[in-house]
Amino acid sequence: MEIALETALAKLTDIQRQAVLWDQGPLMVLAGPGSGKTQVLTCRIGQLLDASRDQNFRVLALTFTNKAADEMKCRVAVFVPGLEERATIGTFHSFCAQILRQHGVHLGINPDFAIYSSDDDRKAVLEDALRTAQTEGKRVSLDDVKYLAIIDRLKSKLIEPSVCLHALAGVVDRDRVAEIYQLYEQELRRVNALDFNSLIFEAYRLISTFPAIAARYRKSYPHWLIDEFQDTNSAQFRLVRTLAGNDFRSLFAVADDDQIIYEWNGANFKQIQSFLADFAAQVIQLPTNYRCPAAIVEAANRLVVYNAQRTTSKKPLIAGKTDLKYPASEHIRLVVFESDAEEASEIAKEIAERGRARWGSTAVLGRTKALLEQMNKALHEHNVLSVIAQRRDDFLSAQFRWLVAVLRQLARPLDRRDLAVLIEAFNRLTGLAVSVQQVITEAETTGRSYIAIWLETAGRQSLKQSVADLLTLIAGAANDASLVKTALDGILADIARELAVPDADPDLAEDMAAWREISRDISSHLGRNVPLDQFLQELQLRSKEPTPKPDTVTLMTIHGAKGREFDFVYVIGLAEDIMPSFQSKKKGGQSPEMEEERRNCFVAITRTKECLVLSRGRSYRGWQKEPSRFLVEMGLVNPD
Amino acid sequence: MRIASLRIENFRSIKALDLELGETTVFIGPNNSGKTAILDAVRIALTRRWGQRGTGFTEYDVHLAKENDDPKSSPGVVIELRTEETVADEWPDGMQQSLDNISQTDPVTGKSFITLNVQCAWSEPDGCFQPVWTFLNAARKPLVGGSARRVNIERFWQYVPVFYLGALRDADDEFTSRSQFWGRLLKAMEIPPKLEGRVQQVLDRLNTRLLKADPRLAEIADTLSGATRVAARDREGGVNLRLVPLKSWDLLSKAEIILRNEPDWPWLPLQRHGQGMQSLSVIFLFQAFVKHLLAELYEPESVPVLALEEPETHLHPQAARTLWSHVSKLPGQKIITTHSPYFVQHVPFRDLRIVRLTENGTEIQWLPPSFSAMIPHVPALDATVANSGGLLTYERASQTLTVAGKLEEALYRNLLTCFGNNADRAMIHGVLRQLRDRSLLFIPDEELRALETFARRVRGEIFFAARWMIVEGQAEYLLLHGLGQGLGYDLDEHGVSVIDAQNNGSPDTFAAVARALGIPWCAVFDGDDAGRSYVTKIAARDFEAAFVAARCKTLPAGNLEQQLLTDGLEPDLRQVLQAIGQVDALTMDQPALERCLRAHKTRYAAELAHRIAADPSMALRMPQALRDAVMSLRGLA
Repeated sequence: MEIALETALAKLTDIQRQAVLWDQGPLMVLAGPGSGKTQVLTCRIGQLLDASRDQNFRVLALTFTNKAADEMKCRVAVFVPGLEERATIGTFHSFCAQILRQHGVHLGINPDFAIYSSDDDRKAVLEDALRTAQTEGKRVSLDDVKYLAIIDRLKSKLIEPSVCLHALAGVVDRDRVAEIYQLYEQELRRVNALDFNSLIFEAYRLISTFPAIAARYRKSYPHWLIDEFQDTNSAQFRLVRTLAGNDFRSLFAVADDDQIIYEWNGANFKQIQSFLADFAAQVIQLPTNYRCPAAIVEAANRLVVYNAQRTTSKKPLIAGKTDLKYPASEHIRLVVFESDAEEASEIAKEIAERGRARWGSTAVLGRTKALLEQMNKALHEHNVLSVIAQRRDDFLSAQFRWLVAVLRQLARPLDRRDLAVLIEAFNRLTGLAVSVQQVITEAETTGRSYIAIWLETAGRQSLKQSVADLLTLIAGAANDASLVKTALDGILADIARELAVPDADPDLAEDMAAWREISRDISSHLGRNVPLDQFLQELQLRSKEPTPKPDTVTLMTIHGAKGREFDFVYVIGLAEDIMPSFQSKKKGGQSPEMEEERRNCFVAITRTKECLVLSRGRSYRGWQKEPSRFLVEMGLVNPD
Repeated sequence: MRIASLRIENFRSIKALDLELGETTVFIGPNNSGKTAILDAVRIALTRRWGQRGTGFTEYDVHLAKENDDPKSSPGVVIELRTEETVADEWPDGMQQSLDNISQTDPVTGKSFITLNVQCAWSEPDGCFQPVWTFLNAARKPLVGGSARRVNIERFWQYVPVFYLGALRDADDEFTSRSQFWGRLLKAMEIPPKLEGRVQQVLDRLNTRLLKADPRLAEIADTLSGATRVAARDREGGVNLRLVPLKSWDLLSKAEIILRNEPDWPWLPLQRHGQGMQSLSVIFLFQAFVKHLLAELYEPESVPVLALEEPETHLHPQAARTLWSHVSKLPGQKIITTHSPYFVQHVPFRDLRIVRLTENGTEIQWLPPSFSAMIPHVPALDATVANSGGLLTYERASQTLTVAGKLEEALYRNLLTCFGNNADRAMIHGVLRQLRDRSLLFIPDEELRALETFARRVRGEIFFAARWMIVEGQAEYLLLHGLGQGLGYDLDEHGVSVIDAQNNGSPDTFAAVARALGIPWCAVFDGDDAGRSYVTKIAARDFEAAFVAARCKTLPAGNLEQQLLTDGLEPDLRQVLQAIGQVDALTMDQPALERCLRAHKTRYAAELAHRIAADPSMALRMPQALRDAVMSLRGLA
């Protein structure tokens, strides 16, 4: 056994070790924030693999984000070097993509399907389907693209187009909506593409239609671990349920229903109940919080009992952190300002005064983007490096959007979808004036490929040498798939040159950093010579946001903070109508929406390792606001 | 894991070939028909480096449609093989898990299978022929992602190691310390360290004593050490003589097989035994290798594939006959080529493949248990398949319909109806018609079993024949051979096998087998009820009426004796009877003559045949039907 794994196992508490070594069937681990659940998960994986070095089975671990998956992969690689391949760690979506790549053929899905994650792509697919249907005389129109949201909801509940009518009760013109749903699915199948909901849905369809395939997965993966189980939606739960069948025993789920902040996505504390019931699972609670000082733990406990929708018999968090770097008075502070502007500037000042060395481990959490943007500006005014972290599905800069469009066009030369972005972004970047419509028409009349026509048209205009060189590289790649990498390297080199000058575009720099991280990650897990369509699939599954640079304060919404921890945390905007939000108040004090707001607050404050500052302004955007009820519930403000 | 099917395109004499393989498959056919190409295709797919230089592929391996075609512009060689479970969960868990990325599952039966595709085409940038290995999904499209990584093919090769034993099995080659089996077996031997120490001590002492035996040895050593004094002037080196090897490996590596064939004969090194013995030893060496080393060098679950050429080489026919039972018990999957009727005698019919070279390249014929065709899926098809009582199966991913026997008219029409409204119905109906026609070649298991029981004697040779002549009995057999010689068409020389059906099974089975194996045939029967019933049975086998009439001749006058007498051969027959010792041959009356002939059927036939062979004019007086039968063999196709 590796030293790292041995040491880690030795450092576990008794309860944690009990969870790691559990082999008595399905287990639910209720793990509060900062309770060491990631360590428990990775130790368990490491231990399962280490104890079976002479065997070939794999362990499946499903996480909520790619970042969490990547972190786990790194830790497992340290624990059991050489055995990493036996651990399949990824999100639900990436696991489903893997299932469909290998076995989707039985549903008529080709292994090289495209993944459409952005709303724009999916709207475009629906629009194409509607247009074709119109020419066939069906009574649909392009306006019907608005039903995409309903379609998404149906798919996330695993409801097929053929049986969706009862689920559409209350919707005007149900039959038409059902038909539009059918058209959308057919169009996706026709262009060999899947959206995120399809990944889960089709995988579910595959294993429920063909139990033999589910049996195969049970044999190849005799141990499953699921992280953040409370955030799985019903589709994901049913997928697990069907894959497990009646006999699967080694199911290890980690959850905390006090941290459910994705209810809008279908997550529900009842998921945990269903798990316990359906699998007759045992429960282990890891209530000891090793992250936060005791004062924060107490405040969190006081806050969360106001929620009704949570697992009964849940133990309160126990403060377990022993080495504290700061005096008790600094552990949790409430500060009040006159206005949101003052809140922003004063907090910015405090952070600036703490010193540059601390910025990297400081986070500011806010309920809304607007709050964060105001904060970001204030920090910059005080010369503090800061960045708003957010999941990004698309690159920011024109250069990278163009690059991705080029790659997608090379992978699917017959597709027109990316042509507009490709041509117009290039026009903007180089000052050319190629017409999208002209390229399309010429390609369709001469029967040549879109990219060939574009290259010719662009080539005819007067160009700088560097631009002409890029076009030559792309032309080479269009004719010979093995030259795609060369073209890609050429374009990246060109972008790198642009970044080398002072005053380079920060968006471009961020995109380049994100690109490098994603490429490195993809090649470390799939090998160096990943085929293009595969690379694009993986790109779609990942966030385009790079890891922030050191010495930078991170600003995030509470959803973005999930799973993270910082030495210094500032939670701003703790006023009624901000947190809790106006919408949740409208729904009522006992509503599920309010409970989710409370959980948001719970998650926010439990990100703290050393010092927590809760702040509010007496007015926001000129309107007077009461202190947040959560402050009252935490016992930090007397109710008046 | 066994190879269930193999597809080869553009490789040497093979333009396109689809084959199914069993646990043991035996290929027979004329020289240069392409048998070795098939073995080599399996080797190429399952080894990374084959041959001394690189991939072993050269431009000579690419099939050329015309002589001056350029191999570099050919679409390239394709070899595709599929390994399959025979029942779900057959493969051991450890292997299934290791190959998880590349295996597919039949969603209905739960059986796992793996499809490996190797393409080898000219690569301009590399300046040579490059092989590319990919794994395919159930619809024969390449798998991507983790399934496309190099490590998968390496693992796959570990589980299906291929070994080749060519026809020239020389003990000198195969029993050296560097040979593929012997060498590795020796190297794997573990001598405990204590014993190794003892061995070295003993060898050292022996060496010293030998050196001391003749003082001149020490002087020679000393003189030779002058060399070190010249080479390194300042320091004194040394030279010593080792008369005896240094380590146990030096001894082991020279290990020899010694054999004696009988208990009181002397022991002789293998190399001094005959070629037959050497050849056999190599085959058994393979068995030892698999038993002791395979799991260690490969994986515990590895199953070897043995490509074995002409196991009967240098062996007496008796030995060739018994060899089959040993070879068929060798571990793993065997792909065998042979020229020996004695070896073939015991091979189950369905394991035989007849290889021929035609204008379409190498082709194979055999007795398949089922027939398949690719047709697209329509919902109506599911019902038809479900109601076929197991006769039809349909694999949706690869769009393959399989019929496990003859496709009868009613079921055939049902299938056609499924596609009644289909846009491509003309093409699909054509495919179904071809499938139906091919399925007419089906011969059921019970019939083959009956043939195997009764046809032991002739079985071997008939599969090597160019043409078959089916007759009723031994007498006809003898007569026809004699007639052939008399007419200047010696049956043996022209590769005709005469099959006396009464002793070997029913004539219609032989006719059906001949058709399935592509062997031209004709038949002569008595004109009595029995004879005519044979013709009827043959006709009932889905042969065209005109074809049956052309190929089956009956003696118009009734049975053979009646026919001979009718054709005016009575005087000759009387002489023949007399020659074989029948006292009243010349005087007995006709009915008695007939009875006597029938009582001594074989003996008179033998004598008559002897005379006809020597006398062409007599041959010309033989019954028309018999002469026509022999002459018709000439141009038979």
